Parts: sequence; C-alpha cells; structure tokens
Amino acid sequence: MLRACNRLLRPAGRIAFYTIFIPSGLSQAEYRRAARAGPSAVTSRGRQQPDLLRSAGFTGVREIDVTAAFLRATRAWHEARARYAGQLSQAEGEASFRERQRDYRLQARAIEAGLLRRSLFVAERAA
Amino acid sequence: MTRNKDTISRFHDRYSLPVTDAALAVEREVIGANVGASGYTTVAQADALIPELRLRPGTLLLDVGAGRGWPGIYLAQETGCRVVLADIPAPGLAAAVKRAREGRISDRASFVRAAAEHLPFQSGMFDAVVHTDTL
Repeated sequence: MLRACNRLLRPAGRIAFYTIFIPSGLSQAEYRRAARAGPSAVTSRGRQQPDLLRSAGFTGVREIDVTAAFLRATRAWHEARARYAGQLSQAEGEASFRERQRDYRLQARAIEAGLLRRSLFVAERAA
Repeated sequence: MTRNKDTISRFHDRYSLPVTDAALAVEREVIGANVGASGYTTVAQADALIPELRLRPGTLLLDVGAGRGWPGIYLAQETGCRVVLADIPAPGLAAAVKRAREGRISDRASFVRAAAEHLPFQSGMFDAVVHTDTL
C-alpha cells in the first residue's frame, strides 16, 4: 500500500498516517497476545514502518509516538460506552456490544504491557 | 473468510448501525467532536496533520480508508483543500457524502469505492496522502 501511495504522490508530495503496530523485540507469546488484543488492521511484526516507507521510495521519515493518547482513547471508548450500555446494546445488539467492550479491555491491557504502540509517521516522496 | 474480508465486513456492519444520541455522546467524549470517527484519531491529532501535510486551498488530498469521512472531510473544511476519499464499505462512503454535503464542501470532495491496494488514480496526481489506522 505504501508503494501505491508513493506512486500517487507528486514529487515532494507528503504522506502522514497514524498506525497501530506491534513493536519489535517481543517473544512469540507476547506477539501472539498483541496480535489477539490489537485491532484487526494492526500491522504485523517484522519490518517496521520507517524501513517500509524508505523502501517504498519515501524520504525524510519521522515518527511521533502517540501511544499514551492511544491508551487514553481506548480507555475512554470503554468507559464512555459503558455509561451508555443500555442504549448502545439496543442499537448494536447485546453480543456485539459486549464483544467490543471486551476488545477495548484487552487492548488497554496490551498497550499498558507495551505490546501495542501507535505512532504518527510522516514522510515525503523523493523529488 | 480471510482476515481482510473479515475486517471489511466488520466495518461495513459498524457503519450500518443507526446513529443514536448515545453513540454521538460517546464520540464527542472520546474524539472531541461528532465527525464520524470510530477509531483513535482525536480532533487534536487531526489538527496535527495539517502542517505535516502542508494542506492549504487548492491542495489535493487523498484519504485512504476514509470510513465515514474522518479525517478527510474535516481537513478539507479546515484548510480549503480538495479531498478524494477512498474506501470499500458503501455505508461508510454514504455517510461521508452526507457529511461533505452538510459541511458544504461537496464541490471539493470526491468519493471512490476502492481498496487501498488497488487505488484507481493516475500517478503523481496527489499533493498529500493521509490514512488513519488503515495498515
């Protein structure tokens, strides 16, 4: 996808994206836990975003860690939704509501344990 | 069902849910406004994208995996840039079209049903690309 984005940008055009990812250096067990706890679109372990951006033709790659805000937002979704549980359960269906609440709890624990991170990556297409 | 198809199906279902007062209240509390968000990008984080992408009137921005139009519609409203929103789930794009109309930027917003891996655009046509938790 990054190669496709690079192709679509004019020279010196810019890309910026927030992404949730599993940090490198985890054990197999930690990685499995992170993969289960993260959103379905979470990036896989392996080559990390800066390398992927550079290999896709981007330069000036920068990363801004927003993991603390990610944890706050995850907790906020869980807590705010819990306060409106009755109405949301009715709209979403009881099972779906409970599943999402469970997912937020698992995700918050995984972030706290250092198993999930979220960053803003910024880069430029080579001129 | 593959993981990718499962993800698309999940978002299709999520975007099809009725917009209730409770859902709007939760979104305001978590994200900071009612902007069609269901992820983790707050208004403050969307604002941080503006200088990074050097958005201004006339800039052409591509929002990949645009969902219900967050943050692409907001960025176009705040900066005067033009925006193309691409995603697969039709209910999300329908909500984005509505948001663009309500935000009076329909003349600067386009919508394309396409996957991030197969974007049907000419090379070099965009000044900036944004996505939030799409990959």
